[in-house]
Amino acid sequence: MSIELKNVSYLYSPGTAYEMRALEDINLVIPEHQFIGLIGHTGSGKSTLIQLFNGLLKPTGGQVFYNGEDIWGGDVSRKDLRSQVGLVFQYPEYQLFEVDVFKDVCFGPRNQGLDQEEAKRRARAALEHVGVPEELFGRSPFELSGGQKKRVAIAGVLAMDPRILILDEPTAGLDPRGRDEILRQIRALHETRGITIVLVSHSMEDIARYVQRIVVLDRGHIAFDDDPRRVFSHYRELEQMGLAAPQITYVMHDLRDRGVPVDVDVLTVEEARDNILAVLKGKGAGHAT
Amino acid sequence: MLRDITLGQYYPVDSVLHRLDPRTKFIGTLLFVASLFLFHTFPGYGVATLFLVSMIFLSRVPVSFMFKGLRAIFVILLITVAFNIFLTPGRVLWQMGAVKITYEGLIQAGRMAVRLIYLVVGSSIMTLTTTPNQLTDGLEDLMRPLKVVRVPVHEIAMMMSIALRFIPILMEETDKIMKAQIARGADFETGNIFQRAKGLVPLLVPLFISAFRRADDLAMAMEARCYHGGEGRTQMKPLRYKGRDMAAYCIVIMYLAVSVVFRVRGI
Repeated sequence: MSIELKNVSYLYSPGTAYEMRALEDINLVIPEHQFIGLIGHTGSGKSTLIQLFNGLLKPTGGQVFYNGEDIWGGDVSRKDLRSQVGLVFQYPEYQLFEVDVFKDVCFGPRNQGLDQEEAKRRARAALEHVGVPEELFGRSPFELSGGQKKRVAIAGVLAMDPRILILDEPTAGLDPRGRDEILRQIRALHETRGITIVLVSHSMEDIARYVQRIVVLDRGHIAFDDDPRRVFSHYRELEQMGLAAPQITYVMHDLRDRGVPVDVDVLTVEEARDNILAVLKGKGAGHAT
Repeated sequence: MLRDITLGQYYPVDSVLHRLDPRTKFIGTLLFVASLFLFHTFPGYGVATLFLVSMIFLSRVPVSFMFKGLRAIFVILLITVAFNIFLTPGRVLWQMGAVKITYEGLIQAGRMAVRLIYLVVGSSIMTLTTTPNQLTDGLEDLMRPLKVVRVPVHEIAMMMSIALRFIPILMEETDKIMKAQIARGADFETGNIFQRAKGLVPLLVPLFISAFRRADDLAMAMEARCYHGGEGRTQMKPLRYKGRDMAAYCIVIMYLAVSVVFRVRGI
């Protein structure tokens, strides 16, 4: 269940005055069961890239493989591909349309050709999984709060039971509590359903503690593709791309520069706290996380 | 997908025609169209061709863009030409049963085809070199005399520019909604007409909701800035004729004079 991109490039409106290069020579493998963060500044090509994953856009150069098959190779059903590679867009307003929440979530499974009962079962499971309480099932999706709409939108894709779930800025426009809740639920999805997650964000801070791997896009190129700790060690370069490492990275680097032997590779405030306390107690530094 | 469709088909390069006042271009286009109906002989169309080719050259827009507009009228063009060829009475060149082609018919068909094609290409030059907003400003100014007979010129122009402004936004939104629904397995392409119409519901509902919300927001923003219609309102970029506009008017009027002379002399 892996996605592989080989020398992929994408041009918008090729051959016109509005031609724009969005991606250039992208090589990327998304294996099974990974939790990946895709980070980039506005206009770096993130949104274009994720639309290549499920065949919404056709690359203008290079190939996209799903399980080793070229998705534009001819005998691949892109409709099937899309139920395997679920994509949740940034704005839930762009997909909610039904009279009530439950029916809206049933839309995906129904399109997969499932019968009423199975679709309902899947919808119920998906809604429960993202933490939408049952009393909201009968409500109009337009009456919900921003965070609830987002959950319903995620459930709408999750109900199709994809093997890979791509979420475009799922935390945009949410308050800190809503953001943490959504991210925790996404992590729970990753753990309980065992699906691959690609989380698109422009904030390292948000995703640092959740993801196993970070892919950084900069002006259509992959700038870094590594373990979060190693990506953050390039914090000076990240700044030049209009991004930033988590604030705690800066604190730890400052401490290190002032002679406190802390571990600069910590990802979260909690880890940093433990590390600093350990150093202060004289237990020494290093990777004591 | 839909991104490729441009309704305001402005082509962004810098040329003499781009820099002209929109009013000049609008009146110039009208006069050019008038000339097409004044000319009625092939030497006359030669003059029109010369004029049109020099305008295309001056606009610095690729020729292929000029002819894109023709696709829209292709069917009309075909019907017009067919009717003229087959239904004009005159010297018969070819006959088969009731169907006949006459010499006069061919001439008439050629004439109509040239007029239609030049008309579309001529107005394409205007829309390709003028942003929709400039065009609206120009029209507002040209329609100003109608205020005397209580035509709400400013309001019409404002509605037009808002509508134009929102077309690309709504197009982009349509594209995004379509993609979001396709990602959920929606199908906009197959099935019979009823299935397709039903398939549009997941697209239209979010689109309408978004359009109404945008309209609400815009109305609020305009009121917050004390918009109250055209009374006493000034423009940020008032239209002013410059030297090149006068030159353009001179050229167009001279061209029109030629066509009048051709008509009077019967050339």
